[in-house]
Amino acid sequence: MCDFSKLWSSDVVKIFPILCGSTSQILQSPKEEVFQNVCRQMSELGSVGIETLTDIVKLEMRSTIRNVIVPKFWVHFQVPRKETVSDPNALFAKFIEAVNELHESYQYLLQMQTRLIQLNRNGPSKTLEKQVVDENGTKTWLRDAMLAQLPPNFDVVIGAFYSVHFRLFTKDIYFSSNTIDSEVLSDLPCTGCNFEVQKCCCQKLIEMVNKTNQKLLELGLIDRLAGSSMTALIKQKIKEHINDTCLGIFDRSHLKELETWLQDVIMSWLRNIFTGGKQCDINECETIQGFKVKLTYFMYETFAQSVISRFFSIIIDYPDSTPAINDLKICMEKIDMRVYITKTLRNALEARLLHPGVNTMDILTGYVAAIKAIRHLDNTGVILEMVTAPIKDYLRKRNDTVRRVVTGLTEEGPTDLSEELAKGESVKDGKDNTTDELSNWENWEPDPFGIDPNILRNTSSKIMRSADIISMVVDIYGSKELFMVEYRNLMADRLLAQLDFNSEKEIRNLELLKIRFGESLLHSCEVMLKDVTDSKRINSHIHGDGNCNENQLFDISSLIVSAQFWPSFNKESLQLPEEIENEFKKYTKAYEAYKGNRTLNWRTVTGRVNILIEIGDRTMEMTVAPTQAVIIYHFQNKSEWGLEELSSLIKVPPSALRRRMSFWQNHGLISETHPGVFTLIEKESEKSQFEEMNITDADEEDLESAMASASDQREEELQVFWSYIVGMLTNLDSMPIDRIHQMLKLFASHSGGVEFTQDELKHFLQRKVREHKLLFSGGVYQLAK
Amino acid sequence: MAQNISPEQSGGAGGSSSVKHNDDSLPIKDNHAVSKRLHKELMNLMMANEKGISAFPDGENIFKWVGTIAGPTNTVYAAQTYRLSLDFPNSYPYAAPVVKFLTPCFHPNVDLQGAICLDILKDKWSALYDVRTILLSIQSLLGEPNNESPLNAQAAMMWNDQKEYKKYLDAFYEKHKDT
Repeated sequence: MCDFSKLWSSDVVKIFPILCGSTSQILQSPKEEVFQNVCRQMSELGSVGIETLTDIVKLEMRSTIRNVIVPKFWVHFQVPRKETVSDPNALFAKFIEAVNELHESYQYLLQMQTRLIQLNRNGPSKTLEKQVVDENGTKTWLRDAMLAQLPPNFDVVIGAFYSVHFRLFTKDIYFSSNTIDSEVLSDLPCTGCNFEVQKCCCQKLIEMVNKTNQKLLELGLIDRLAGSSMTALIKQKIKEHINDTCLGIFDRSHLKELETWLQDVIMSWLRNIFTGGKQCDINECETIQGFKVKLTYFMYETFAQSVISRFFSIIIDYPDSTPAINDLKICMEKIDMRVYITKTLRNALEARLLHPGVNTMDILTGYVAAIKAIRHLDNTGVILEMVTAPIKDYLRKRNDTVRRVVTGLTEEGPTDLSEELAKGESVKDGKDNTTDELSNWENWEPDPFGIDPNILRNTSSKIMRSADIISMVVDIYGSKELFMVEYRNLMADRLLAQLDFNSEKEIRNLELLKIRFGESLLHSCEVMLKDVTDSKRINSHIHGDGNCNENQLFDISSLIVSAQFWPSFNKESLQLPEEIENEFKKYTKAYEAYKGNRTLNWRTVTGRVNILIEIGDRTMEMTVAPTQAVIIYHFQNKSEWGLEELSSLIKVPPSALRRRMSFWQNHGLISETHPGVFTLIEKESEKSQFEEMNITDADEEDLESAMASASDQREEELQVFWSYIVGMLTNLDSMPIDRIHQMLKLFASHSGGVEFTQDELKHFLQRKVREHKLLFSGGVYQLAK
Repeated sequence: MAQNISPEQSGGAGGSSSVKHNDDSLPIKDNHAVSKRLHKELMNLMMANEKGISAFPDGENIFKWVGTIAGPTNTVYAAQTYRLSLDFPNSYPYAAPVVKFLTPCFHPNVDLQGAICLDILKDKWSALYDVRTILLSIQSLLGEPNNESPLNAQAAMMWNDQKEYKKYLDAFYEKHKDT
């Protein structure tokens, strides 16, 4: 035993210095006889001796790894925060140092391991060899210990290291993409190492980095240790790259370029790290391939997000932005983003379009553009349906929507609706389409996934979703009738505004609309146009009639409208002076003679009068509205009128009369000398103070519509419903709203013609409650006593 | 607008569509012409908006109506309102509807079950009568009972003393008006 302790202290420790706590110095290769000696001594002790020694050494190695080497390595990573921020280069150096140290320790341990194996091989129990010492044992222990002791912010340092590496690596590409004047360049620091160009040490740094990488590779640690921080770094780089190159540029495709970039820059960098520039073996190739898949996915995702976040601009720029939409389409095939895109887009549209500050016309323009752009992206129409639902809801609340749409349909405008109309695609009947789908089953496509099936079920059928743009716009209200009524009103206004009307354009529009909406809805419009041409003929006939022309004071041309087909007029009235009325009577007589059983009902408020005014030394020739002409006519004989007096004579309410008067006040012919008293001004200079004040009242007359507006007409319809509601509630006491609605649908729908939604009804009933005509309590309505 | 309200214009087209609806929802086999006529009558009644009388279908079935009449002024029935039920037969208007008081009515020609003794509802019925004229007739019957053929003998006897009658009637009405 004495022998043994001597042997231990002299020879064994020499072979395995780890047993006495030494960790890092590289051993002198021990003398052969020392080794032989130990071997001999040990084999004397038998297999148990060698086993025990092996175990002791292994134990010691492990504890050294755990307690000394690894903590020492990680100490390098515990840097104060400030430093991390201020100097990545210091971190870079630190990392290299740490890896070097680790590598040295590893080499040392490896030596231990080799000796241990040798020792065992020389011993008697050769069979045990493999179990006793594993070739890769040390590497595994080291890795285990390393990962077990990961400090929380280790990736800061590693990140810093790789970002320097990346910068070095991409230096050349950076140069080639930024063509900076070489003279300027020499003054700038080298982009790789941040040193001045003359002192550039990139080459040196690259060598250092490559060595470090190789060491890490050798240790088998690179993936574990650096994988996540490398991924983070690359992701950041991808984001930056996408931001730099693609953001806000929609007029060309980016995906190809991005993919090339990923391949050329990122992937070759990774390959550089993992192989150190050498040919890669299969294992490494797999790792790299794995990275590639992950990164490609990420790149698509980032790109799609950047496109989606700007999708509103894409919509507005459409069709110039088609390449961007194509890119996004490719991305959507690879990544499921439907929910994200619907949500983002809805929010964007709501924030940008749907608030009171935006013109209805602009919203419509946006809506049409959105339809086009989203159609391009997703031709099933599901996204479209979901994204545009809020726009539709909002437009329904604006009261000028219908008018704007109709204007858009018939006039050139930013919405291109008229162009769409001119394309002349007719709306197919629903039935036709379903049979179409059945016979066309080979091209059937399932509804896209990723959308809440409940929403799908609730939204209209596939046919509706693939309807054309005009139908989409008209569908805002769910009925064509409303649009056609408004169209009729607008057309009536236009026809009345220009009596020398050239109806060619109107006829063209009408024909186009007929193709789309069917003849029956537009029948009355056709009659209106026919009225105009008929009137021209009748006029020329009556003018040619000699009887009528005798003693004629002035020419009359009439526009004869069929009351049944024109929209109802507003209820303004005007009493013509006797002298003029007689002329009208003569005309009526001529008409009666010409047309037999028919007569004319004059609508004196609408029309145009050519008048010649001679006053003082002035003469004025102008075309004015009948009411204005009548006003100035009455000033012929009497130069001062009270408002009330004139009002009762010509049967125009005072408020309206005052408004009409302002026209003449602006022309300097009449002035309000006292409040409510108007006087004719003979000379030009005589202008009173009142008049100057009123001069701001421009003649908005021409803008006023002669027709009762659509909302007025609606009001009348509601009145019909109201009498039914009263009847209902008188007899059935009290009813909830849905029952009232149902009853109206059953019994009153034919008298109004137009459908009546429950929302509308609710609105209407609530108004009646406010007017104290109804009581509402406990969910039921009843008549107020 | 005018052509929409006008019965001549819209009674035909619109009326038939709602009749169709009735056909779908009702087990009873409807007669198109009858329900069309009833729809038209309803519309006329609603548009006329006559004071004191009113009627409306009771639920989805256009053959069952509820009517309301106000007691004629200057009679003992003034300021009282009575509910009636009108049941139209499939042969309407060639047969009279069955009209009954829903609100109990103390009247010589009305029994306690609400049945009314009125010639135009029985043998004097003509297809020219309509809901409006029926209700107007019943309204005037309240003020001018036919005491020759009473259904309610007590009421017929009391009728002569209008003061006493009124007192009794008011008590009767107060007691029963909500039933």
